[in-house]
Amino acid sequence: MSGYKLKTVRKDNRAMQHVGKVFLYIVLIGLALFTLIPFVWMLSASLKLDREVFSFPMKWIPETFHWENYLVIWTKVPMLMFFRNTAIVALSVTLIQTLTSSFAAYAFAKLHFRGRDTLFLCYIATIAVPWQTYMIPQFIEMRAFGLYDNLQAIMVLQAFSAFGVFLMRQFYQGIPSELCEAARIDGLSEYGIWARIMLPLSKAAIATLVIFTFVGTWNDYMGPMIYLSHDSVKTVQVGLRRFIQENSSDYHLIMAASVVSLIPVSIVFLCLQKYFIEGIATSGLKG
Amino acid sequence: MAQNAVPLTAKPKKRKMGHLERKNTLVAFSFIAPNFIGFAIFTLIPVVMSVIMSLMESKTGAIFGAKWVGLANFEEIFNVAKVSGKIAEEGLLSGLTYFFNRVDLGIALKNTVFYTVVTVPLTLVCSICLALVLNRAVKGAVAFRAIFFFPYVASMVAICVCWNFMLMKDGPINQLLMSIGINFNKSWTADSTMAMWAIILVSVWRSMGYYMVIYLAALQGVPRELYEAATVDGANKWQQFWNITLPQLNPTTFFSSIMLIIGCFKIYDTVAIMTGGGPGRATKMLVTYIYDTAFVQFNYGKASAIAMVLLVIVLLVTVIQFSMEKKFSND
Amino acid sequence: MKKLLALVLAAIMTLSVMSFAAAEGTTLTIVAWDVNTTGYLTAQKEAYEATHPGVTIEYIDVSSQDYDTKVAAMLAAGDSSDIYMVKDVPALMNWYDAGYAMNMNDYIAASNYDLSGYVGMEVNYNYNGEQVALPFRSDFWVLFYNKTLFDNAGVAYPTNDMTWEEYKEKAIALSGNGNYGTHNHTWLSACVNWAVCDGVNTLIDGEYSDLAYFYQLVQDLEDAGACMAYSEVTAAGLHYSGAFGNGNIAMLPMGYWYVATLINNIKDGNYNVSDWGIVAVPHKEDVKAGSTFGNLTGVMINKKATNADAAWDYIAWLCGEEGSKVTAGTGNRPAWVSEGVAKVMSSVEGFPQDENSVAALLPSYVAIEIPGDPNASAISSILGEEHSMIMTREISIEEGIEEMNERVQELLSK
Repeated sequence: MSGYKLKTVRKDNRAMQHVGKVFLYIVLIGLALFTLIPFVWMLSASLKLDREVFSFPMKWIPETFHWENYLVIWTKVPMLMFFRNTAIVALSVTLIQTLTSSFAAYAFAKLHFRGRDTLFLCYIATIAVPWQTYMIPQFIEMRAFGLYDNLQAIMVLQAFSAFGVFLMRQFYQGIPSELCEAARIDGLSEYGIWARIMLPLSKAAIATLVIFTFVGTWNDYMGPMIYLSHDSVKTVQVGLRRFIQENSSDYHLIMAASVVSLIPVSIVFLCLQKYFIEGIATSGLKG
Repeated sequence: MAQNAVPLTAKPKKRKMGHLERKNTLVAFSFIAPNFIGFAIFTLIPVVMSVIMSLMESKTGAIFGAKWVGLANFEEIFNVAKVSGKIAEEGLLSGLTYFFNRVDLGIALKNTVFYTVVTVPLTLVCSICLALVLNRAVKGAVAFRAIFFFPYVASMVAICVCWNFMLMKDGPINQLLMSIGINFNKSWTADSTMAMWAIILVSVWRSMGYYMVIYLAALQGVPRELYEAATVDGANKWQQFWNITLPQLNPTTFFSSIMLIIGCFKIYDTVAIMTGGGPGRATKMLVTYIYDTAFVQFNYGKASAIAMVLLVIVLLVTVIQFSMEKKFSND
Repeated sequence: MKKLLALVLAAIMTLSVMSFAAAEGTTLTIVAWDVNTTGYLTAQKEAYEATHPGVTIEYIDVSSQDYDTKVAAMLAAGDSSDIYMVKDVPALMNWYDAGYAMNMNDYIAASNYDLSGYVGMEVNYNYNGEQVALPFRSDFWVLFYNKTLFDNAGVAYPTNDMTWEEYKEKAIALSGNGNYGTHNHTWLSACVNWAVCDGVNTLIDGEYSDLAYFYQLVQDLEDAGACMAYSEVTAAGLHYSGAFGNGNIAMLPMGYWYVATLINNIKDGNYNVSDWGIVAVPHKEDVKAGSTFGNLTGVMINKKATNADAAWDYIAWLCGEEGSKVTAGTGNRPAWVSEGVAKVMSSVEGFPQDENSVAALLPSYVAIEIPGDPNASAISSILGEEHSMIMTREISIEEGIEEMNERVQELLSK
């Protein structure tokens, strides 16, 4: 008698779960569509002529596909060189940021020392000041160091941000301190703890920082705009904006260039996806 | 572990650092140094200079050649003369109404705070939900994650142009609204109220993928055993979420809310490209005001003063959150 | 990591080699915007280098949108580029106040430079008696029109002596069937700056009731369907160049610089327009025909320039008769007025040859769009904000103008 009841209960639960799952998918797909529509428009605009981009009524699929737009952006603007420059900067900044940030974050998260909290607040305070405000004093100082019109300037600008330290600190806080205590008792130095315990346990966090730093550097416009003057060192975003001028805005080219600029970053993101899949043993508390 | 013995005789409150503590501090500083030195030289110093500049008058943006004016910039941006006059004549309410509706800084503050108060919770809720859903074995999770992260990756110019077009009078969004009975017969960015919501919409659309990624990473760090133990104890999914997941995510929520609040206070690109601060001053934000003052009107001292107001507000919020975090922190 | 270092080192070395190569002779550095996409900058460089061996011109290219910001940073940091292009009068005023601009009076006196070719416009670059820049382009506003659309509708072409009322009638007559009679670009200058054409009103006098007439005109046109509504144009970020190029807009009041864009785009086959012309902008009843407003584009010598003398030589050439002919040859309107220059302008390939268009090249009076004044930028911002409120119909024209008056007068009273 009870066995029969259990079966129906289980069947009801499964039906409910089914409905729940379908509903979930509907919401997800709806949200995904909502997220993607501007990109569809971007793609469609990139294949039109400039005067067709804003025509009424709106044509989602262009009459003729002007693939030559994609060729034009590579020829009108030395895009290849810009891609290379941006890649150099993005890679170096990501490397420096990830290393120095996780290093510093360990101290803020797990070590106790005088002035820890004040110093940390100092970091956060600078994030709160809009870049526009201190851009000129910073520019004057960087120029004095010879950091102008070269890629090192951009690297230096982005590599030592408070953001990375903040992010890693929060992740480190989630790692139980008992692990560090145990290691200390075993005689491991703080540096050893960082290298052998904190780093391996924060793979997802590091992957996150890598993605964000890479995207941030790749998409940075203001920095390269101010600091770079010669074409040979300019970056992708600066090149992208070339089509916005005073007397005409080539929106079809802007959109084409934006589509192209999306690709490298998406590749990086998809590559780092595996660090986000549940199932990687991260706790390490049990045996 | 050997400790310095504390003498039994009466001592002044502040004691010198013991040997161990000094060593700890040195080690800690060695960790911080690589990042901090670069940060101090290239970011901290300019920031401090801009703080000083709020007390000066500068046409060039440099400290050299700037003239000391004390609090004059602050008096100007708060329009102290007129506002205090109003308060004296017509009362506090009248003065405040005047400040928040007629004075540039008041309007910018009002808009920025409104925008922040709406965007931050919306984004947090959306990103947590997305992260929770996509953390499980949902079919196509990887694809969904990439899709939701996409907005953050695209260039601001392209995004804002796209959204401006979508929010036009006869654009897709309005047509969608019409199909469910809401007839909003205007371009969003041409309406004082809706322009703000356009900005909010684009911001949430853009950021939810970003914070989703952060939460996804954080969810990796939640020990499975906690859930297993809770299931054994008979807790249902909702209880598990409320009592395990959320508290475990506290450090992440702290981070996300601070970064979101700062990000919202500093919003510039979206507004500049989509509405230009308009119509009128309906979407005039603190940083668009700063930018205009600094680079169009060449008044860097005044711009720094506005930035100081922004900084003070954000710091206050951060300090409050910081002290709340310490109560709940794992350490 | 090593590879990265090597790449970076290689980049640095290449750069330094490049700069060594250019060291022979004099190199003039000029900071300009949209170097590769504005036709005249390349033409000017080539023409000057051809006639002045030993001088190489190097442009520093800045995107026009961010020109003011970047230049502010460069000048603040003590940049030593020789020449900076001047985008608008308020900007130059600020550079002058900040001490970046070199006084050219000595150079002008020493070379007996004749300033009469600028028909008085050079005073806008003169502060406290110091001539700190010279104009090489003077764009006044004209009325572009699409001859094909006029022909199809059977409406007479616009003339060089049209009132705003006649303009409105034509615009309404030409609208319908997906066509618009005219197009008002979103800038305040495109909509109501005509008020300064009477030579009495300015945009900085704190009194804006003169703008009411034009705001009403624009709204009448919008309501009659004769032009696109402001909110549509802003939301789409629609640029007038593409709009007119689409071929369904009959008239467009715009700055003379659009001539070059039109000619080039028609040549490349990007536009749907083939037969077009220009006439003087319409005028109010009590204003002289051929009155318009304009803006200057100029060049200034950086006080910290490395080659000040060579810079002056270039400027004297650029802003004088010869440089102006080169500029005119690219379809742009130089600041230097002379018959020789006018001839070059009308003989540019693609320029409409009807007599009205040619006559429109010689306006009777050009007011400056916004005069140089310490408050000009601040006033511009205020006017821009109220402008968008009026144009989106959030407030009435009367309320908007009242706001403008109140806010600007408060600013001026400080």
